[in-house]
Amino acid sequence: MKADLVVDAKGLACPMPIVRTKKGMDTLQSGQVLEIHVTDKGAKNDLSAWAKSAGHEMIDMAEEGDVLKFWIRKA
Amino acid sequence: MNKRVAIIAANGGLFDAYKVFNIATAAAATEAEVAIFFTFEGLNLIHKEAYKQLPLPEGKEQIQQGFAQANVPSIPELVSMAQEMGVKFIACQMTMDVMGLTKEHFVDGIDVGGAVTFLDFAKDADITLTF
Repeated sequence: MKADLVVDAKGLACPMPIVRTKKGMDTLQSGQVLEIHVTDKGAKNDLSAWAKSAGHEMIDMAEEGDVLKFWIRKA
Repeated sequence: MNKRVAIIAANGGLFDAYKVFNIATAAAATEAEVAIFFTFEGLNLIHKEAYKQLPLPEGKEQIQQGFAQANVPSIPELVSMAQEMGVKFIACQMTMDVMGLTKEHFVDGIDVGGAVTFLDFAKDADITLTF
């Protein structure tokens, strides 16, 4: 999937994946897609809840080994 | 209108600090307007010196290593991140007077206020938390 920005939050613990995601999202325009890579297992639920709460659309997620990848479209 | 989160920090240990600042930064990252009222031991969490080495609960000192392994940010890092994201810090004037502390003892950018300052912010809060 083509992303407009990739945020690498691998190795970071809560709340850093959310903080990095928010900062990345702030630089995008409405409709653009942010791709986030994390290893924090809690981020799976956290990022879904964050996207919902901010009104963004969680388009897809994938697991590659220890790395979780998410694609979120900015509202 | 953004959600509003009002937090009272009344304890001064390392665990207390993580509870307060993790929730505060996560809320700020979710576009909430966040204020923390630091009172009594809670003032340690923003004290320029004390916040660098907050105590672990007695008998739990070995957990220090766990924090390093889990790559958890330090409290000073979380404090500056919270401030950068717009979290408002209010230090309790009365506690400062009792403890002989002035604004200069604390990290930059804090407000000093009384209970009513916090209550005024908290009266329209969607979420109120006490740690």
